[in-house]
Amino acid sequence: MPIHRNRIAGPEDTEPIENQECQTAILPNGDRHDNRKLDQIRPIFCRAGAVSQAVGSAYIELANTKIICAVYGPREVANKHEFNIQATLSCELKFATFSCQRRRRHIQDSQEKEYSQIVVQALEPVIRLDKYPKSQIDIFITVLQNDGSVLASAITAASIAIADSGIEMFDVAVGCCLRRIENLSLIDPTYLEEEGHLNNESEDDVVVNANITIALLPSLNQVSALIMNGELDGNPTQKIINDCLEGCMRIYPVVQECLTKRLQEKALRN
Amino acid sequence: MAAEVGVAVIPGQRLGDMDQYSAGSGTYIKQRHIYASLAGYKDIISQAGQLPMIQIKATKASNTLPLIGTVVTAKVLSVNPRFCRVLIICIGTMPLKEPFRGTIRKEDIRATEKDKVILYDCFKPGDAVLAEVISLGDPRSYYLSTAKNELGVVFAKSKAGYRMIPISWTQMQCPNTEKTELRKVARVKYWID
Repeated sequence: MPIHRNRIAGPEDTEPIENQECQTAILPNGDRHDNRKLDQIRPIFCRAGAVSQAVGSAYIELANTKIICAVYGPREVANKHEFNIQATLSCELKFATFSCQRRRRHIQDSQEKEYSQIVVQALEPVIRLDKYPKSQIDIFITVLQNDGSVLASAITAASIAIADSGIEMFDVAVGCCLRRIENLSLIDPTYLEEEGHLNNESEDDVVVNANITIALLPSLNQVSALIMNGELDGNPTQKIINDCLEGCMRIYPVVQECLTKRLQEKALRN
Repeated sequence: MAAEVGVAVIPGQRLGDMDQYSAGSGTYIKQRHIYASLAGYKDIISQAGQLPMIQIKATKASNTLPLIGTVVTAKVLSVNPRFCRVLIICIGTMPLKEPFRGTIRKEDIRATEKDKVILYDCFKPGDAVLAEVISLGDPRSYYLSTAKNELGVVFAKSKAGYRMIPISWTQMQCPNTEKTELRKVARVKYWID
């Protein structure tokens, strides 16, 4: 359906209703808006093998953020002109049209294309591509509900799906997101904390305001992706990155348990 | 060879030292330690005269690729005087979810008298053949060969539409019309007994 370009925009000095007022990042008692502590991660539910027709799949929920991922491959390369001695990894991340506060388009927009590229960059060093010459591994990620930390959870879901599919990997990549506002670090932000206008102690002029996502390989202790949006001061950056890495380490046991449970399920079926 | 039942491991978990074990399938080595590269069960196999081998038993092997040397089952799609195009549908005994493309070149059909081969008298579209992967080939297809006695046509329909029975290694006969057709037949145990 074509976009309606003839909608009346309204008088020039008006603002759309959706623009929220500035809110405080934390409540007066020191907790966040969803009653979490500053360094508390939301409870995670994840399940491998959610999509039966895919070679590997995973479903992850971080409270209200819900993401499903399916992996197909290694299969024949679609582009018949290139010869690659390694497997080609491709990812398509899509927000469902009903997943965000504003309805999203059916076609992938630039943010989704960027996220897809980041997931590929985060997983390319982890998968043993040299074991599957002249083939293609496709990852399809669908975000069913967006309540913040989407990129981090998408990376985690993709790793679980690939491990479930039996494609060899060096390690699982675990993603974690952190929002920094002035001197507050909010781990695993919700949509409000990620996208909303937040201030600290009723000051509207916020200087340090950044969103960081890190993908960590826990066993090898290496970082495969680090994405930062916003402005950060040089001094606390080291501590911020360490806090985010610590968040990843706390998510790792959940990933381990999810895959172990899936192995037991498969063993019982055979 | 004795095997010990192991614990469930996920990719990246450390399994042992290189001084005590050797690395088997589903593992990799980094800085003299053996790590898992699959999600599966740890298996320790003791070998005579060598260090015991650690391998990971994956629960399914459905993501196999046609490796050089594997025997595959392929369906002939089209035939031309120089080569025939096939669709690889099974690798060994494992049927594939998604097929791969293959090519059998004229010189790879028989082991003897390679230049005197008439391709249309060896394969016809719709035949099922057993072939061996000889090369990764070009971006469009794998290269296969049927230059062994046990490779070649295992299933073919006659012009009348009935499944043919082999009467020699170059001929198959339709049971209904009793007409013979030329094929490069596989010397499969099913027909010898």
